[in-house]
Amino acid sequence: MPLILHGLTPIHWAAAGASIALITLALLFLTNRRLGISTGFEDVCSFVVPVSYFARDAVRSARKWRLPFIAGLIIGGFLSAVLAGGWTPTWDLGMFDQAIGFGHAGKLAWMFAGGLFIGFGTRLADGCTSGHGIFGLSNFELSSLVTTISFMAAGIATTQLVYRVLFRV
Amino acid sequence: MALLYLTLGTLFGFVLSRSGAADYNYIQAMFLFTSVQLYGIIGTAVAITAPGLWLIKRYGRTVSGRPIVVPLKPKHRGNAIGGALFGIGWSMCGMCPGPIFVNIGEGKIYAIAALAGALAGAGLFGAVYTRVQSVFRLPRLVVGTGRT
Repeated sequence: MPLILHGLTPIHWAAAGASIALITLALLFLTNRRLGISTGFEDVCSFVVPVSYFARDAVRSARKWRLPFIAGLIIGGFLSAVLAGGWTPTWDLGMFDQAIGFGHAGKLAWMFAGGLFIGFGTRLADGCTSGHGIFGLSNFELSSLVTTISFMAAGIATTQLVYRVLFRV
Repeated sequence: MALLYLTLGTLFGFVLSRSGAADYNYIQAMFLFTSVQLYGIIGTAVAITAPGLWLIKRYGRTVSGRPIVVPLKPKHRGNAIGGALFGIGWSMCGMCPGPIFVNIGEGKIYAIAALAGALAGAGLFGAVYTRVQSVFRLPRLVVGTGRT
């Protein structure tokens, strides 16, 4: 199956998994940082939402690394598109377009709603696929095992409901 | 140091972009059990990170000699419930938090709405934290001790 991005063939999962592991280990060994992306939402919120949750010492002290790391993620995606054949803004959403449609406004509303679940859920669970799924599982943390099982199960249930019941492919 | 974080983030973003981890179809294929790609990626990442992490912790220091500190994530009722909410969002957007940023970089316009939603969701959680704290047995907030 080609990627939505320029119809590229994805790199092998073993190479991708090994690269992610090396980046995770480099982050710890070089800079003493525990991989985690969704905590970065707090760093952004901490500039605009004046509540004590975002004034935590843990948030304030981590901005200086999380914000450049997140900026890197954006640059990484940008470079990937440029090197693959050029950067072009796109609305393409693969099987969503074929099975659900909804138009541009509907797609934005769907994405915003999904984003609300991601933002609220990852903060409540204290992490996402990176902090719990990769780092936490690798560190044998029980909270990460519980969270990972929980988000995998909910993801499977939601996609099965959407694409096998509500909008059949 | 900021340049190092930027570089590691760029590498991470590039791998997510080219592996399918930031691709809507591949996320759905994982949840539909029609592709092994994402299971292979996460499984391989954990299988290599776990022994590497053990070695680094055993060595006990960073490359520059500072003691390794791995902050543990608190265990509470929010893990299961928050994880479930996040799973719904991951399926809806076809992106987890890292890939939201990667997709924005790739030029996927709708990913900006996903980011707006995620920031709003995180902001909402911060605003109601003290009200849901006892329900989920969340840890006490550490604010203004000067410790970093």
